[in-house]
Amino acid sequence: MRPLTSGERRILENRLMRQYGVEEAFKDLILVMAGQKRIRACTREAYEFSKKLRKVQQLGIYVAKLRGEDVVLSIEGSQLLGDKIKVNVIDLDEDEAIEWMKASPIRIKGEPTGKYVVARHGKIYLGSGIVSRDGKIYPQVAKWRRIPEL
Amino acid sequence: MSKLIMSDDLRRYLDLIPDLDLELLLEAYERPLPEAFRTNTLKLPEEEILQRLRDKGIEFRPIPWARYGYQAEGGVELGTTLEHMAGLIYLQGPVSMAPVEALDPKPGETVLDMCAAPGSKTTQIAQLMKGEGVLVANDISYERVKALSSNIQKIGVLNVVVTVMDGRRLPRYVKETFDKVLIDAPCSSLGIISKDWGVAKSWSYRVVERLSRLQAQLLRAGFETLKPGGTLIYSTCTLTVEENEMVVDKLLRERSDAVIKPINLPGLKHRHGVTEWNNLRFDPSLKHTLRIMPYDNWAEGFYIARIVKEG
Repeated sequence: MRPLTSGERRILENRLMRQYGVEEAFKDLILVMAGQKRIRACTREAYEFSKKLRKVQQLGIYVAKLRGEDVVLSIEGSQLLGDKIKVNVIDLDEDEAIEWMKASPIRIKGEPTGKYVVARHGKIYLGSGIVSRDGKIYPQVAKWRRIPEL
Repeated sequence: MSKLIMSDDLRRYLDLIPDLDLELLLEAYERPLPEAFRTNTLKLPEEEILQRLRDKGIEFRPIPWARYGYQAEGGVELGTTLEHMAGLIYLQGPVSMAPVEALDPKPGETVLDMCAAPGSKTTQIAQLMKGEGVLVANDISYERVKALSSNIQKIGVLNVVVTVMDGRRLPRYVKETFDKVLIDAPCSSLGIISKDWGVAKSWSYRVVERLSRLQAQLLRAGFETLKPGGTLIYSTCTLTVEENEMVVDKLLRERSDAVIKPINLPGLKHRHGVTEWNNLRFDPSLKHTLRIMPYDNWAEGFYIARIVKEG
């Protein structure tokens, strides 16, 4: 685990701006790279304190993953950004939100301009999904977070 | 209908514990634990979360001793709801919320959860800290830390450092560092047999003796990491004196700066800590520790001691 360099941070911010219209992403938080291009966020105080400790396994929470030239936001990453996400955000009703959390594909509404969208249900943000040519959005929900199919 | 099988050794042992009604205990063991949850105010305001649940016809009532704690009514299955999977609620036994309430962590403090996995109490501490200060969540097991990490993620805790080490080694790195320390120690789990009847069948006094030694070492180490003036909560979900009062009494004998303080948790039924056992006399202040039988609140059984480091 290491903190993002200012260059890496700038690249992430530019991608978040391009994909989701986000300005000043994760301001006031330390971002660390945690293997497989996964980015975690934690408070500055927690990061500084961790230097005193041994066997540090994790800091804060997983917020995003770099995939090619794009950024996939985790559920908590999108919740942290919240209303800063200005474009490529889709609103889901309760039934659609449940399907999203089962990682079931959702039919595209409107015309997303990017390869990725963020789902929102009321004030709850549910992470990124991939926009497919088959007219569906495929939610990127981790297996352990999915609502089980009954 | 299957019936709980209890080893003769355990039955004889429980008969010796003062102020314990074995018939009621067996009745409590055969009942399922109540479905309870905390609202996660790190993600949304409490009232908005509660309204979402009400809109789904879910009924609940507040748990008097736990801020943000509720007991669901009517046998509802919360574990597969959108609210649970999105991290708006956290499922946790009602009495299991009591140790953190006794610890009373505050925003800006430095807090250690020494035996943190699977993370119920860690996330509860984080919520009360409101994202300010530092929370160190430690556990000895890589395997168990996976569950801890998942729960930290789901609740969205940004001010946490997760470490994997034997808690007994922590004072080497962080002596007299923390404002608050929680030691929810590994134990023989006699307070939560309703979750796993196998515990009653396989119980052995030798395991209790081994755990008691480990618990005393963890408590000593936890106390060393505490700042002067800081507060430590020692808790277990078991009923044996060897894993509870005897462990705390040992610390009181070793450390003159360790002082037991009363615990005030409104509405939580409990009895006082034991001060005499098996021809042994413990520090009289142990009467201020809490012994909670499973039938006291028809939920989990727990032991909770609040210790302050003077200075």
